[in-house]
Amino acid sequence: MRANSEARSIRLAWLIAVFLALPAVTGFSEPAPSLPLAGGLPVIVRTGLRFEQISAIDENEGSCTATVDLRLRWQDARLAYPKEDGSAFQNFRDSAADARLAAIWAARVELANTIGSPTFRTTSLRIYPDGRVELMQRTTTKFATSFDPQRFPFDQQKLGVEIVVRGEDQERVALDYHQDDLEFSGSGSDRNLDRWALGLTNIRRESLPGLYGVSHSRLWVELQIRRQFTMAMAPIFIPLFASLLIPLMAIYMNKVEDGEFQIDAFELCNIVIGGLFAVIALNFTVNSAYPMLSGADNTVTRLFGLNYLVLGAALAIIITLFRFNLVQRACGKYVQEQLYLSIVWAGPLLVLATAIALLLVAMA
Amino acid sequence: MNMIFRRAAPRLLIFVVVLVVVTLAFLSNRLVHGLIGAVEQNQFDLMRTIVRSSLRAAEDRAMARAEMIGNLPSVREIFAKRDRERLLAECGPMFDIQKAKYGVDQMQFHLPTAVSFLRLHAPTQHSDDLSKFRPMVVAVNADRVARKGMVIARTGPALFGVVPMADLSGGHAGSLDVGMDFNPILDGLKATYQMELALFVAEEPLRKFATGLPGEVITEENRRGKFIKFHSTHWALMKDLATETDVMNVAEEGFTRKLRGITYGVLVLPLRDPAGEPLGLLAVAKDFSASRAASGRSVVWQSLLALFAIVMLAVVILVVIRGFVSRPIQMITERFKALAEGDRSRPIEQPETLCQEMRDLAGTYEQLRTSDEKEK
Repeated sequence: MRANSEARSIRLAWLIAVFLALPAVTGFSEPAPSLPLAGGLPVIVRTGLRFEQISAIDENEGSCTATVDLRLRWQDARLAYPKEDGSAFQNFRDSAADARLAAIWAARVELANTIGSPTFRTTSLRIYPDGRVELMQRTTTKFATSFDPQRFPFDQQKLGVEIVVRGEDQERVALDYHQDDLEFSGSGSDRNLDRWALGLTNIRRESLPGLYGVSHSRLWVELQIRRQFTMAMAPIFIPLFASLLIPLMAIYMNKVEDGEFQIDAFELCNIVIGGLFAVIALNFTVNSAYPMLSGADNTVTRLFGLNYLVLGAALAIIITLFRFNLVQRACGKYVQEQLYLSIVWAGPLLVLATAIALLLVAMA
Repeated sequence: MNMIFRRAAPRLLIFVVVLVVVTLAFLSNRLVHGLIGAVEQNQFDLMRTIVRSSLRAAEDRAMARAEMIGNLPSVREIFAKRDRERLLAECGPMFDIQKAKYGVDQMQFHLPTAVSFLRLHAPTQHSDDLSKFRPMVVAVNADRVARKGMVIARTGPALFGVVPMADLSGGHAGSLDVGMDFNPILDGLKATYQMELALFVAEEPLRKFATGLPGEVITEENRRGKFIKFHSTHWALMKDLATETDVMNVAEEGFTRKLRGITYGVLVLPLRDPAGEPLGLLAVAKDFSASRAASGRSVVWQSLLALFAIVMLAVVILVVIRGFVSRPIQMITERFKALAEGDRSRPIEQPETLCQEMRDLAGTYEQLRTSDEKEK
């Protein structure tokens, strides 16, 4: 009887111990801080993001490495305090800021388009006597950025940082910005960027679809950058224009006397085949060095297309006119002679005009 | 006339070809340019309509709020009793919410004809005469008809709705105005329509009437001629799109400006008070680079096609005239000359490749050449 009673007591003690220990183990000991609802819903979080430094842009990888300062501001009347000590605000840095943030409601805002972990992050939190909260986060990391090469090398791109609210839909927490947030969101003091000129920063609202048809508030902070095209002209466009001359030279090198061609078609054909290999090699080189150019319609791919087209046309001329004299057989040697003499000036003119037009279209 | 056919004929024909193709290309380009111009004009009209309707909607919202509050029995009763403290207690919390969440900037009760009774946005400032700079309040108290429009008030420009207020017995007690802040309206237009906007207010009335403005508004940096920039959705951009010259020469029909490689369509809309007096300007800009790029590409491609047409037709003309006519004639003439000089050793090779007329001529030459040999 007594033994049973002891066993029951021990079981009860264990149950109580487990019951008490369970919240600590599962982390539910304290409820999460609730939304500051004094101003109603949605809670407006004023957002700004400053590009403090851009250390690298990798178009092929579609990324940029930058140090950005994210500024979030909201009002939480529950945090208001009497201004007694004369300081304008309470300031918390790094671990102190993290500890304070854990105790208050803070917008769960993420930089959503980062690649990998940040190499540097520091946090500063300010709480003002009237309940205003300002959270600043400096982050150095790599951001995924899409580049549109269609107008290469006269293109402008946007380095975008995607700021998203997690956990709450946009009916409860909304990111917003005013003129002063936009002014904060300029580029920083370090405005030197290799091969690019920095432009203005803009902020764009674009909600993010969530589960069950809800949407999450999202802002894109976009810094315009403009390519300094002179840097791309020498390594890509000079070889592309030069390779256009190869098939034209093959046509031009023949001679016609009294309607008869003087150079063997075989030799001219060799020049064109050599040109074909040169363009293939150049194409391979450009695709290796600039993979982003190979996968889309742009000036470079169009100029490569023109190169292949001119090589094909040159081969067709060599075979039909120089090798088999098809025009002479059909219309006489004088027609063939005049056709050849016309091709000698019209071909380069049209090819050059088309190449220039492709560049001008990219500039437009 | 010393005309050489092999040169004159191709030149004339090529000249005509160039003339026709260039004219057609020019006309085609004008047509495309006109279409793109019409698209841009539609964009300007749309921008103007959107901005004007948004401002009107804001005025309506101000009026609706004023009508609702002004008709609440408790508010009418307290106002009729001229109990400022109770009126503030009754309406103050409501105003705080309206200001924080719905862009209401100002709310004020007036005694007839235009004496400030209570400013909910600045409760400590009252009893001043508004008749000099708030003609709309004077008019509402005079004829007891509600009005709305843009006004420069003590704390700056806003879109107002002013309604007459009656006591519980129906007698005229004064008026109530509600002023909507411009900033949320402009920010909302940017968010919805991707337009950039800048509000400029005439400096003279701003200095005269808006005595409660913060110091950072009227500064040299914000000055554009006789106007002061009051608010902008993107000042770094708008300060170059709405320069002093643009602000001084209002272009309601719109103009385009290229900035950092992007073409913007810019409208400058005058803002007037209900009496029609100019109070300021609203500069509106939108990215037109898509239509401009299409126009530029169209010019390039049309020019290239025109060049192709000219060159191809020139080649055909040269090949036909010189290949079929002038070169065979030149060759046959040389043979006849040689024959005339007694040289019968040069037959015409491959006469079957010549055209029929030339073949006849070649046949005659061969006949002459061989008949002379037979006579010998």
